[in-house]
Amino acid sequence: MVLDIISAVLIFLGAVLSLAAAIGLVRFGDLLSRMHASAKPQVLGLMLIAVAIAIQFPTWATVTTLAIVISFQLVTIPVATHMVGRAGYRTKHLRRSMLYRDELAEAVDRAEAREIAWERQRGIGPDHHDG
Amino acid sequence: MSEIVLHTLVIAGAVLLAASVVAALYRIVRGPSILDRMIGTDVVLASIMCGLGGYMALSDRTDLLPVLIVLAMLGFVGSVSVSRYVSKSDSMTPGAEAGALSDFSNTDWHMPRDADAEDSAEESVEGSAEAADRAQPRAEPTSVRAARPSDEVTEIADPTYDVHADSGGEGEGTGPDPGPDDAEHMSTEKGEGNSRGS
Repeated sequence: MVLDIISAVLIFLGAVLSLAAAIGLVRFGDLLSRMHASAKPQVLGLMLIAVAIAIQFPTWATVTTLAIVISFQLVTIPVATHMVGRAGYRTKHLRRSMLYRDELAEAVDRAEAREIAWERQRGIGPDHHDG
Repeated sequence: MSEIVLHTLVIAGAVLLAASVVAALYRIVRGPSILDRMIGTDVVLASIMCGLGGYMALSDRTDLLPVLIVLAMLGFVGSVSVSRYVSKSDSMTPGAEAGALSDFSNTDWHMPRDADAEDSAEESVEGSAEAADRAQPRAEPTSVRAARPSDEVTEIADPTYDVHADSGGEGEGTGPDPGPDDAEHMSTEKGEGNSRGS
């Protein structure tokens, strides 16, 4: 009975995290802020739920399958969030006024300047045949 | 007593999950961009996973564990494919396109410019009040980029791009013979490139 209550508390905490993410999703005004809010139940809430399940069924089959689920989430959620953030940056879905500093813009400018220099260096060869 | 605590916790958790799904659905409906909708879908999926896990824990259903794995994989594949679809400029790596246009390739200028044109069009469609704000920090690199084509290299680059796009296979032969006809093209069309004033 105590284990039941413990797992119910864990499930309740997972639901609280999920609700926090949803409130952040509604209240925040930026794509990056919403991404920050939405990652909580995907990892931590699911971890709490998995601990609750493992408390209820402490067998090897259940625990290893839950470990697979958790590790899969831990591997894939950063990748997916990174790609969503990159797509949001490229399509300019971010409020510039909410950024203190945009380090990626400096990196993009540096890469563009390097590319320009590389293209010019490569293009000079056949042009100097003519002139 | 403990029965009451257990039931209260379970019912409260179910209500919170339902409320979070409703709020995420609100974001899916209202979301200004498809990425916001994708994040809302992720939160809905996470809530479904939490609810399914709670159901499994409280009602002795360990046979639903593969469903959790499938849902986790579904969220990953969904957000990755949507974000790949949104950022189309992934396929426009300049090194990959450089050999496809011609060998005289400072013509890759056209691709960043076109990409910027698309982006500015998209900006003007969306919030116009923020567009000026967002265009402010990007103004500096575009001015740099606009200043560089006025050098001596790229005023040759514009005519060669048009010539080789029209004449086809002539420039693609990696020819060591940029012979007299290429010189003619450049000499005749240099005036055109200047008159275009780009």
